[in-house]
Amino acid sequence: MEITFDKHSLIIDGKREFIRSGSFHYFRTPGAELAKDRFMKMKAAGYNTVEIYFWWKYHSEKQGEYNFSGIKDVEKVLQAAKDVGLYVISRPGPFINSEVSAGGFPLWLIKDKDVIPRNRIGTEYHYSEKYMEYITEWYDKIIPIINKFDNVILFQIENEYANDEMDETYMRKLYDMARERGIKCPIFHNDAAPWGLWADVVDIYACDTYLYINPNQNWRKDCFCFDTLDNLECVFECKENSPSFIAEMQAGWFDKWDGSGYEHIRKDLSDEHINIVTKTALSQGVTLFNHYMCAGGTSWGNIACDEVYTSYDFTAPISEYGVLEDNYFKVKEINYFLKSFGFTNTESSDETAVQEEEGIYSKLRKDNENNCNWLFLRNLNEESKTIKVLDKYESLIKPYDMKICPVNLKLYACEIEFSDIEIFARLKNDKIETVFLIADENTYMYLSNGDKISGNKKDFDNLKFEEDDKITQFVFLTRELSKKTWINNERVIFNADYVAKDDTIALKKSAEISYFDLKHGFSRNSFKVKPQINHTITLKNLDVSFCAPEIDTDYDYSKWKKIECSEFDSLSCGLSDEFTFYKGKIPNNISEITLSARHLFAVYVNGKEILSRNSYKIEKLQQVSETIQIHLDKKVLNKEENELTILVENLGFDKGFSGETNYPRGLVTFETTPKYDVKFSVNEKLSIERGDNRESESPYLAKITGHFDVKFREDEIFSKYLYLKNFPYRRASIFLNGVKIGRYIKRANVQDKFYLINEFLKEHNTIDIVVWQKARNIHGSWDFKNEMKNVIIEVGDEIRYQLF
Amino acid sequence: MIVPEFLLKKIYQKGTLKKDDNGVSFELKNILGPGFISGFNFVQINEKKFEADAVIFVTDGTEIKGTDVTEENPLKFRLGQKGTIKIADNTCIKEGSNKIIIEIMNPEAGKVTVKFEDTI
Repeated sequence: MEITFDKHSLIIDGKREFIRSGSFHYFRTPGAELAKDRFMKMKAAGYNTVEIYFWWKYHSEKQGEYNFSGIKDVEKVLQAAKDVGLYVISRPGPFINSEVSAGGFPLWLIKDKDVIPRNRIGTEYHYSEKYMEYITEWYDKIIPIINKFDNVILFQIENEYANDEMDETYMRKLYDMARERGIKCPIFHNDAAPWGLWADVVDIYACDTYLYINPNQNWRKDCFCFDTLDNLECVFECKENSPSFIAEMQAGWFDKWDGSGYEHIRKDLSDEHINIVTKTALSQGVTLFNHYMCAGGTSWGNIACDEVYTSYDFTAPISEYGVLEDNYFKVKEINYFLKSFGFTNTESSDETAVQEEEGIYSKLRKDNENNCNWLFLRNLNEESKTIKVLDKYESLIKPYDMKICPVNLKLYACEIEFSDIEIFARLKNDKIETVFLIADENTYMYLSNGDKISGNKKDFDNLKFEEDDKITQFVFLTRELSKKTWINNERVIFNADYVAKDDTIALKKSAEISYFDLKHGFSRNSFKVKPQINHTITLKNLDVSFCAPEIDTDYDYSKWKKIECSEFDSLSCGLSDEFTFYKGKIPNNISEITLSARHLFAVYVNGKEILSRNSYKIEKLQQVSETIQIHLDKKVLNKEENELTILVENLGFDKGFSGETNYPRGLVTFETTPKYDVKFSVNEKLSIERGDNRESESPYLAKITGHFDVKFREDEIFSKYLYLKNFPYRRASIFLNGVKIGRYIKRANVQDKFYLINEFLKEHNTIDIVVWQKARNIHGSWDFKNEMKNVIIEVGDEIRYQLF
Repeated sequence: MIVPEFLLKKIYQKGTLKKDDNGVSFELKNILGPGFISGFNFVQINEKKFEADAVIFVTDGTEIKGTDVTEENPLKFRLGQKGTIKIADNTCIKEGSNKIIIEIMNPEAGKVTVKFEDTI
């Protein structure tokens, strides 16, 4: 495949292509089957490209060792994209951000004192030979895999990178390293903001555009946040003869531990945001966009950076569960339109089409391919506006809506002078064209023959024009039906919840499906969905056991790793898991312990809890470290030699966007008064993860176990959730068949429903929930155990489709 | 977000540093992107540091006291918008080269420190 480009667009094998891409994280949606499901949903929405970050740490837990097997088999993911018919934008970092722990770097890398991640300390440039040497190792592994696939059309180096003086050495080396390893497609970098950085280093300049990064801000009211997007064409002038490329165009936003919840963000953005952002970018001549994220995912295991919780739904068009959301249907509408008209060769027109008015944005673009103009109209006022267009027509634009209106569009048998009836899609052969339009009572189409067509129509209302043996047919669809309308290989399928690549129809309930193609016209078929049994169950017969034998005084930790140095943090100890246990002995003359730990921790002396604390605190966007002093007395230190256990839960490493990826985690500082050199031994992971299922005497960590069955059927697709209904406990880790699939923190109040990732589901399933409770919330071990057996754990279907 | 120093320096409008009987003033222009200022932490002119209560910011014809700009009451600062910082002290500035540091807060980027030099 030959990929070239000019100032208008990418050119693939000599043909201009509009790149309609969406981001997908294979590590957050594990397994080739799930990847294929999401890719098919993308393809069904008219995307032609998937953007994939390749995450270094996911494949390399130890220096020199790489794992590309099982769910880490990226070749299978790339093959799935190819099978579905999607191009790939490859982004192997080395730094990827994407709210993953340490921004994508392996922990062995950031632990190495000779490595300066990204050749940067703070904002200052410091070249690190060792860092470059390790990148060579990564590129040597990942690029040969990428090179096996000819559907990879773009390659990104680094991500959102800058340094004070903009030293180019690092970026130029990355570029050369990619080329030396056989990358043939254009190389780009993703600028963190439209600043024009690194335009001289890469082939195509690209940038992020996020105008909603603060859920407390009202993006509708603060319409000044469009300042950059509305002037994007000027930004892309930084690179001559390069098409306008938004490498991350906002399609949603991530929520944080201290955030407002995905429900709030989804409601706030609705489908209006993606409509306006995407169309504004189009009005600025963008011909390559990548919706970030297109498919949400799950930060299972230790994927997440400390900022985000388990769900990485991102309010994406395809949710974490694979559900098609409102913004999906809006994107489908835009993509179908773009696919119908190409949109790869347009120029900004100087003609004034609309008089300036507060909250109204307009832009006219000349289309050299369709020999017409497109008028973009946007209304950011809270009320509908009637706009005088081209001194001749009136167009009513609803609040927070944006339209692409054809001007002087010559069709086979008629010419549209102006229309604000939105075009959904066009199908055509040499003689016939059918244009599907969205019915809307306040819209009109003006034809050059003087006809004025009202958009006030019902489903399938149609008009036909004939001229010189050619036919143009307009078919109207209501907005509701347009959502359930799918175009696949020049065939239109109406009233289906979803249509997969091979025309498999997915339905939630029985429906009458209509079909249309240019050769056969319309036809119909009925499909009956089998009655659904209630798929929501409450787990019964729960087992409860105390699962932290490490806290017990008779626990043998002689085989644990002994810390010889004075640095206790997890990286210094060579540990990488979320949970770290520290054990050591202290004499009875200690009056005080002073410590800081990231992020949640508890201190136990002789098997009894003396402190349990959540040290995760954000102030002014920065994590605040806290140092805690614990007073000890003879009641606590009741032996000559006392056993100290500290358990620390690390919520992930800094993602490295504003901070440093190697900020310490685990036990960061530890001192005693009077000074005593505690010889700590350490171990990571919870006991159940280490296969140590011994019952403990201490009740602080308790495991609730339940079971459920799943029936897999060839003719169904589904996704399931686990709901901790009114869960009374403050912290928990959730395991599905031994795989950690979620973190729960009651105080954060952001997530109590977790995706039971299909890849980890079996016919017979075990759920383990490890609850980490404070001593004061435990009223007697026996009572506590019995009380826990009554928690409500629901397992249900988030979606279930029957396939036909 | 890490904003490179060379870009931050461009926020300062070179040649606008002025001294008069009332104090010192200089101009800023937002060349980075639309956003909010959620706090003026300090302005330092040579060795002298002025906390938010000593900083006046004039933009869009409005005079705003540094302490009035907070996380709860952030100030819109549009792309291309200009503003003048005023400090009611003219002893901090000298003839020749002057070093100035401004530290402001942005709800998304956190602390933003702009350092520059100019002469009067």
